[in-house]
Amino acid sequence: MSGVRKVASAVALLAIVAVLSLGAAAGGMGPFFDGIRALGTFYLSTAPPQIAELVLGPSYRGLSSYSPEVVTSIVWDYRGLDTYFETAVFFLAIIGAVAIYRGIEEPVLRRPASGLSPIVRAVTKFLIPINIAVAASIALHGHLTPGGGFQAGAALAVAPVIVIVVFSRRYLLERGVTKLKALFLRSVGLIGIALVVLIPVIWSVLSGEWAWVMQNQWKPGAEVFSYPAYLGGALISGSIWFLNLFEFLAVSFGFTILFLLISIDEDTVRSCMIRGGEECDRY
Amino acid sequence: MIEDITAIAAWAGLALFVGGAVWDLIAAIGMNRLPDFLSRLHAATIGVIGGAFYPLIGISLILLGTDIMGEYRYIAAGSAALTAFLVLLLAPAGSHALARAARKKGLYRKDILVIDQQEGGETE
Repeated sequence: MSGVRKVASAVALLAIVAVLSLGAAAGGMGPFFDGIRALGTFYLSTAPPQIAELVLGPSYRGLSSYSPEVVTSIVWDYRGLDTYFETAVFFLAIIGAVAIYRGIEEPVLRRPASGLSPIVRAVTKFLIPINIAVAASIALHGHLTPGGGFQAGAALAVAPVIVIVVFSRRYLLERGVTKLKALFLRSVGLIGIALVVLIPVIWSVLSGEWAWVMQNQWKPGAEVFSYPAYLGGALISGSIWFLNLFEFLAVSFGFTILFLLISIDEDTVRSCMIRGGEECDRY
Repeated sequence: MIEDITAIAAWAGLALFVGGAVWDLIAAIGMNRLPDFLSRLHAATIGVIGGAFYPLIGISLILLGTDIMGEYRYIAAGSAALTAFLVLLLAPAGSHALARAARKKGLYRKDILVIDQQEGGETE
């Protein structure tokens, strides 16, 4: 990177920080609360719909996230943009790992992969479905019980690690869990998150009514757009359920990519990185 | 009749729960005092089965035998029983894998080994 480009990117970063600070200082973040306790009381009394109805009366829906799980509703609704950018940081790290490992493929060994002893393998085969079921329940119940998309993704990512350790990396690849497929599913998850965040804006442009980025239920000042709080009679808390689902997809397959990459034999990686060459530069 | 059964379940659960602490103490002493990797692994497994599996079953029985959590006690009891089952499955598999790896790399004291039934081992 040349000197001019370095200076230009530094100035751009500083300008972004300055504009955001100016906006916050000018009251762009809405009214601040008097102390932490009042803020906590506000979240605890507005996040679950039934309590919000009791506390705030009929106008409750404008301040409620319709999720009884207060932590999830703070993470995905009240401070949703923060989580959105956290997700972006996490996936920048994964993109960095994928870029470092680009084109590095482990040579396929001819001898059959044996893995650990039959006892450990049998227990693992029994546990993988349980692991997947638990992870899915953490994700799909994330708006009702403690958990959520990221935690569920981390729980599911245990499965490929165990398979790599107990069986082998090749066992996972032969069963169709490859880097490209994982990258595809991770991208589906990320695009899903971006869509759920931007649908209010797209809707606003199309209909001419006002709506916020990452809006869940209707808000004061943007009262027409609202994600459905119930689907077929079941509480799904509007956008929170979809965000949890897509985050689950993105995080679990993001971790899967990382584990597939770091389980490549170290000598292969090192020789590819030092020598470079045709066979190490295919992608 | 039903009250008797629930009371028995609660007291049995309490006994398992307290017994778990004793097993954990024994396991901790064993981890510190036993001479080599394989025997310490034995102590660690005692800690997991005696100090985690039995107390979890005990919690499940206590919850089923009393009404301290209302309706939610069934959820908690089921979770505790399921966790106990998973521990029962995982702990032996894990210690087995560790013991096998230690045996392969020779990370144990051969002078105090009593029996070795793996291939290439000396049966006594």
